[in-house]
Amino acid sequence: MKFKRISIALLVFILTGIAIFTQLMIQQEEKASKKDIHNKGNQIVSLIALHSIHDFEGDKRNFFIKTLMEYTSSHGLVYCFINDQNGKPVVSLTPGNLESEIPNHIQTKSLAAMGLVYQPFETMGSGQKIYEFAKPFFENGKKTGAVRIGLEPPFISIISMQRVSLLAMLSFFIISAITIVYYGFVQALAPLEQFSEKILNKRMDTSVALNNSTKRFNVGSMVEDFQKSLLQFKDKSKAIETINQELASKIGVLRFEKNQVITILNSIHFGIIITDIQGNVSHINDYVLNLFDRKRDDVTDRPLEEVIPDKEITSFISKQESLKQQRPNSHMDITFPELAPGETYRISYGCLKDDQKTAIGKMIMFNNVTKEMQAEKATQEFTAHLSHELLTPLTTIKSYSEMLMEGEIEESETQKEFYNTINSETARLSRLIKDLLNLSKIEMGSLTLDKGLVKSDWLFEDCITAVQGAAQRKNISIHRHVPDNFPSLIGDKDQLKGALINILGNAVKYTPENGDINFELREQDSKVIFDIRDTGYGMSEEDLSHIFDKFYRSQDPQIAEQQGTGLGLAITSEIISLHEGEMKVKSKIGEGTHFTVKIPKEEYYLGKQS
Amino acid sequence: MENNHKVLVIDDEAHIRRVLEIKLKNRGYQVLQAKNGQEGFDMIQKHQPDIVISDINMPIMDGKTLCEKTSGLKKERPFLTIIITARINPEDRDWIETSQDTQFMEKPFSPARIVEAIEQYLG
Repeated sequence: MKFKRISIALLVFILTGIAIFTQLMIQQEEKASKKDIHNKGNQIVSLIALHSIHDFEGDKRNFFIKTLMEYTSSHGLVYCFINDQNGKPVVSLTPGNLESEIPNHIQTKSLAAMGLVYQPFETMGSGQKIYEFAKPFFENGKKTGAVRIGLEPPFISIISMQRVSLLAMLSFFIISAITIVYYGFVQALAPLEQFSEKILNKRMDTSVALNNSTKRFNVGSMVEDFQKSLLQFKDKSKAIETINQELASKIGVLRFEKNQVITILNSIHFGIIITDIQGNVSHINDYVLNLFDRKRDDVTDRPLEEVIPDKEITSFISKQESLKQQRPNSHMDITFPELAPGETYRISYGCLKDDQKTAIGKMIMFNNVTKEMQAEKATQEFTAHLSHELLTPLTTIKSYSEMLMEGEIEESETQKEFYNTINSETARLSRLIKDLLNLSKIEMGSLTLDKGLVKSDWLFEDCITAVQGAAQRKNISIHRHVPDNFPSLIGDKDQLKGALINILGNAVKYTPENGDINFELREQDSKVIFDIRDTGYGMSEEDLSHIFDKFYRSQDPQIAEQQGTGLGLAITSEIISLHEGEMKVKSKIGEGTHFTVKIPKEEYYLGKQS
Repeated sequence: MENNHKVLVIDDEAHIRRVLEIKLKNRGYQVLQAKNGQEGFDMIQKHQPDIVISDINMPIMDGKTLCEKTSGLKKERPFLTIIITARINPEDRDWIETSQDTQFMEKPFSPARIVEAIEQYLG
């Protein structure tokens, strides 16, 4: 369809071209014939004017006229007039009445002229185009007459042989040119066709190639193919756009997840450094930055040895790297006395590997293990203390009984002393075991308080009774300070008594002979308060900060001299806590110690369930 | 049974000192007593005992420190140190074994075994 339109357009174009070309040729021919006539006219009049006017008179007249007539007919002369000086016609050769159709001014101008005259004109009747040429006769320098001839322009036919042959030639060239251009285009566009085929078929296989070679080139189908290709391309680009959007959203998700990982790494409570395989830091979390007082920008992409200039760590890492197989628990403990005094860090090394098990980086972790180390140390110390405390009375019992059995003691007084010691040490051991059981019950949360109404006056007196003997032996006076109305409280009477006896017993134990102890009971802010003030040795601040620690014994010789399990105050403080009470202690060396125990007061009403 | 050997017993526990005092006196030794490492160190310098029996866990100065402080004295005048301890942990074993003329005796100890160790040392 399109091709037809193109053909029509081409045809119109060619025809217009031929018309314009023909017009141009005709114009050119007219111009050439005009020049031709001019030359011919000039030649003829000049030739005639060479003669004497008299040659057309007398004897020669017939001969000249005859020659002139022959000449005229062969040269297309329309007319020929020869006039003498006076204008009298000498020769007049003209068909019919043409002479009368020549305008007068033509004749007048021709006759008056002294040289060659050329005047084109149209006849008055038929309007025939005529070119008049005139020239005067001269004889002895004197004008004797004039000759005038009329020539008609040659007929120019639209169909001339010359023109037809020229046109034919031209057409041949044009057609040849079009053909050459056409096949040139075909050749030039052939890859384009294959290109469109390729796009359509996605790949170029042999069958397509064969098809292609047998298929005739067709602009229409090619345009169609191209259109198809463009449509497919459009679809493809749309699909790619969709994929791109999906990718962009995936990248967004990945970025979000990456940031999340970084946030997690920064918020975890241990240090982490990740390096690439060359050992340059690719990620470092805030924990490490804070520990080493470094800025992120200063350490990113820097070598690890530069970021953490610690020889111990560097050698640890290289040692780990040299191991062919990583041990799961490979770590080292290190301290940084200047950066983090008193803290211990456990450094672990890990090799980062990809799916193919190829090493892609390293990971170094910093874990603050100070608390774990302290706990471990505390456990060790506890075990050491416990074994010491248990073994000391046991050693006495064993060695004393061995001595008695082997008959090493002969004096009955010493024997008695030994038996007493065995007895008291056995009691000490059992007390210690009871304390330990009590403490472990409290710590495991399995100590159940046998709660009930406790009248503070009974509690107060029971405590004094319990330590009275020991106090009397050291001649220590216990001064009572009691209110008019004794408040009541809810609790486990035995446990509370044990706790208070512990404090009061310590007061007796650590007060030198003839000292004083003030034991006061009072009520304040809905609390029952027991105040125990001694005039004992007192404690240093160091001792004061440890008095509730298990097995802690003061280094003060006066205190250390006294027997004790080192568990009493630990148990006391736990029992007071279980009663929602509080305990405060003040002490000064040489002045004494002051314990204050506060337990919530409980009003007792009949019928009230506790 | 009298002999001229001096034994210094260092322990914060009076009962231990007492039992060793009787046991050693029965064997004819001259017995000296100290309540902690510091007191013990002073007495070693003053009385130059042949045998020192010491506990590890003591206030003021413990048995380990005492051993370290007396290692110099031992080069001039050797004497046996018997360390009585509740439990031998690996660290303690190390320094006891590398110290000159030092033995350890685990609690609960037998007084007879201590006497044996002393007699073996003195030949």
